[in-house]
Amino acid sequence: MSNEVILRAKQVTQRFGGLCAVHNADLEVRKHEIVGIIGPNGAGKSTLFNNITGMYKPTEGQIYFHDMDITGKTPYEITKLGMARTFQNIRLFPTMTVLENVMLGVHSKTKANLLDVIFKTKRAKKEEEETLKKAEEILKLTGLYEARYNYATSLPYGYQRHLEFSRALASSPELLLFDEPAAGMNERETKELSDFIFKLRDMGYSILLIEHDMKLVMSICDRIYVLDHGEVIANGEPEEVRNNPDVIEAYLGKEE
Amino acid sequence: MKRLLHVWAKHEKYVNVVLFAAAVVYPLIFTRQYLINVGILCLVYVLLSLSLNVLTGYMGITGLGWAGFFGIGAYTAAILSTKAGWNFILTFLAAMAVTGMFGLLIGMPTRKLSGRYVAIVTMAFCEICRALETNMDWLTRGSRGIPNIPRLELFGMKFNKQAQYYLILFLVLLAVIVMGRIVNSRIGRGVLAVKDDDIAASAMGVNPFSYKVMIFGVAASLAGLAGAFYAHYIGFIDPSNFTFDQSTIIISMTIMGGLGNPMGSVLGAVTLTVLPEILRPLMDVRQIVYGVMLIIMMIVRPQGILGGFNLKHIRQQDSVHKEVRNE
Ligand SMILES: Nc1ncnc2c1ncn2[C@@H]1O[C@H](COP(=O)(O)OP(=O)(O)O)[C@@H](O)[C@H]1O
Ligand SMILES: [Mg+2]
Repeated sequence: MSNEVILRAKQVTQRFGGLCAVHNADLEVRKHEIVGIIGPNGAGKSTLFNNITGMYKPTEGQIYFHDMDITGKTPYEITKLGMARTFQNIRLFPTMTVLENVMLGVHSKTKANLLDVIFKTKRAKKEEEETLKKAEEILKLTGLYEARYNYATSLPYGYQRHLEFSRALASSPELLLFDEPAAGMNERETKELSDFIFKLRDMGYSILLIEHDMKLVMSICDRIYVLDHGEVIANGEPEEVRNNPDVIEAYLGKEE
Repeated sequence: MKRLLHVWAKHEKYVNVVLFAAAVVYPLIFTRQYLINVGILCLVYVLLSLSLNVLTGYMGITGLGWAGFFGIGAYTAAILSTKAGWNFILTFLAAMAVTGMFGLLIGMPTRKLSGRYVAIVTMAFCEICRALETNMDWLTRGSRGIPNIPRLELFGMKFNKQAQYYLILFLVLLAVIVMGRIVNSRIGRGVLAVKDDDIAASAMGVNPFSYKVMIFGVAASLAGLAGAFYAHYIGFIDPSNFTFDQSTIIISMTIMGGLGNPMGSVLGAVTLTVLPEILRPLMDVRQIVYGVMLIIMMIVRPQGILGGFNLKHIRQQDSVHKEVRNE
């Protein structure tokens, strides 16, 4: 595993009025790593995700992608740089088909403008063909190809998550951010998910994920950050974190 | 009903060709000036309704003051042709450019405002336009209007009624083709995504704001084109052509016909242009009939008669079912 850090959050703080959702959080993801964020409900995990992906500009602190300071950049700029996310409460485009949802994912990597489209330029046509091909390949990989013409939200819940992964992959990201990818999945589906995440890592992606399913997190993550009341109270390899007394008190103790 | 939809989806191309052919032969069969005039009026409204459909049907932004853009297009063409003697091809292009620019401008508040507030902005815009048209006397001659707008002519040949009809038909065809290309493209997907969920769209690399502004520009410039044609066709315009009532008529056509479906705009515009003509003997009651119809529509089918479905998707889904059955 290389040691190159691709994502770094430095002393990130996010306040909502009087509420401090994230407080001085530090976090790093290296190339080809699978990193987990755990913590009780309301700990600030999703908020930190939103800070990283540009949904909220952090009140204080910086986010770096490679060596670039991306604090305050918009989500679409950040996606273009090579980060793609999924949402805790699935957000698909309901009036678009499965295929179109994934084709949309390619958006940030294509260029055809309004005039290209109106005049059907060569560039636009070629790009459109490539987009279609890429989307179909991804759907084959994630097992949704057969359902490509169905409306995104007509899929069963589990498949909708797969579609969100597919859409994220379509933007050719370097770093994938999954917010509670196993939520609502049964044991078999969760097992498939962990295989899938390993496969993604082998394909060269780096992954940052928020997860509640302890078994999953402990089994797939290289490193884990534990968030409680907006603060990172521990981080390290799964074994270290599992035995950390603060963590046991803040989180695991309550769960088990 | 559902069956019919699938049949339509399967033969969409033929349906379009047949409809277009019918539009082409119409002035050859109905040669009375009055009927051709009604045909032209229908097509002007089809173009207006289509342009608004781009914004309201595809982008999901309700445009309440659409006559504002119609008016800017008409005034641009009227002023340039009467004062500077421009040919209609140039006035059409200029009208599209000027109106498009205003579209971009009115799209700007979408950065901060949500849909329904933007709708109010467009409404206010229409009123401002009318006020300017009325008060900028040196340019627009105020409420006296602009008379003697040169009729459509090319190389010294004046367009007769039929030729005028074919010109607006051609413009409508062009608009339908352009819309189709936009919808089935990277840009069209971006538009739909922003309409469906602008947060998710933004997370997937689409800049929602620039899409909204761009679509405002495109939609407005098509409305401006309709205005330019109208000015040359009718020969005299004044601010009373471009009131809020006019806007209401246009949005009724778009919504009643069907959001997000070009054929919806055709249906809506033709029905709501022809119906008042037929109901003319009823005079005042006509407005009531009209209003009641719209209310019933909004309750029974809020997405409009031909709205809420996508023929391409139906076709794709049917093709998969067929494959499965054949295996
Ligand atoms: N947009 C927001 N405005 C106000 N408060 C928010 C907002 N987003 C999150 N919060 C609050 O921040 C805290 C952390 O939420 P969140 O990051 O969703 O937690 P987690 O994902 O760890 O369950 C919660 O108390 C939540 O209510
Ligand atoms: Mg969360």
